[in-house]
Amino acid sequence: MVLVTGPFRSGKKTFVREWKGWTETQLSEHAVWDVQKLAQETDDLEALCRKLSQYDVVIITETGAGVVPIDANERHAREQAGRLGCLLAGQASCVVRVYCGIPTVIKGVLE
Amino acid sequence: MLILVVGGAACGKSAFAESLACQGALPRVYIATMQAMDEECEIRIARHREMRAGKGFSTLECPLGLADADIPAKTALLECLSNLAANEMFAPGMTPQKAKQNILNGIDLLCRRCERVVIVSNEIFCDGIDYDASTQAYRVLLAQLNRAIAERADCVFEVVHGIPIRHKGGTHE
Repeated sequence: MVLVTGPFRSGKKTFVREWKGWTETQLSEHAVWDVQKLAQETDDLEALCRKLSQYDVVIITETGAGVVPIDANERHAREQAGRLGCLLAGQASCVVRVYCGIPTVIKGVLE
Repeated sequence: MLILVVGGAACGKSAFAESLACQGALPRVYIATMQAMDEECEIRIARHREMRAGKGFSTLECPLGLADADIPAKTALLECLSNLAANEMFAPGMTPQKAKQNILNGIDLLCRRCERVVIVSNEIFCDGIDYDASTQAYRVLLAQLNRAIAERADCVFEVVHGIPIRHKGGTHE
């Protein structure tokens, strides 16, 4: 599994489509995105990570780079999203971070 | 050697910073800056204590006044700058300017005393939100501290999902 990460709207899906030569349909078959939103709905992040790792490509939006939210649920959500990102990166054979549309491999080798 | 480790919430920066500190000589001190205000803080503190248990750290509680702390250690892990900055800046009678000077004096002193200093700080600058005046002043303070410490540091890392990205320093670490 390859993990693709980066800030909101940084070009993560565009990168994956161009890299793989996938259509929108192929993307939705082989990849999953916005997984940071799934993290707050579970107590078992490791099970979620295992499930997501079955996809060829997992796309996560980086969160947590803001002021600590006043709302406890928002704090919990970004904590969970962050932990999920660490678990997925641990599982991934390769991690690509897309920043302003520019992909950088930060773990492994992109094949 | 001074190493700065920066990252967003729950990005794995603490575990990485700890691994860097564990490469330093004994005795090792963990400089804890968080004040336990509520249960959530206590849970967070307990999690961090568990992470560093058995790794040879003594704990020094230092929510304020780093420059006055007595630190007889060869390796220091300061966690984290964002709490220290908030505690200093929002203390009675303080200004951001004074807080900045106090903290940098404390860090300079720490670097003279210890062989290896690892400082953990937060990335809180990418949510595109305009905050109220005092929160903005805090963000400016933390940004200035991050830059001032990065300038002093031998190595600067940003952590993304547990993966360290090197922004400054050599490759041997």
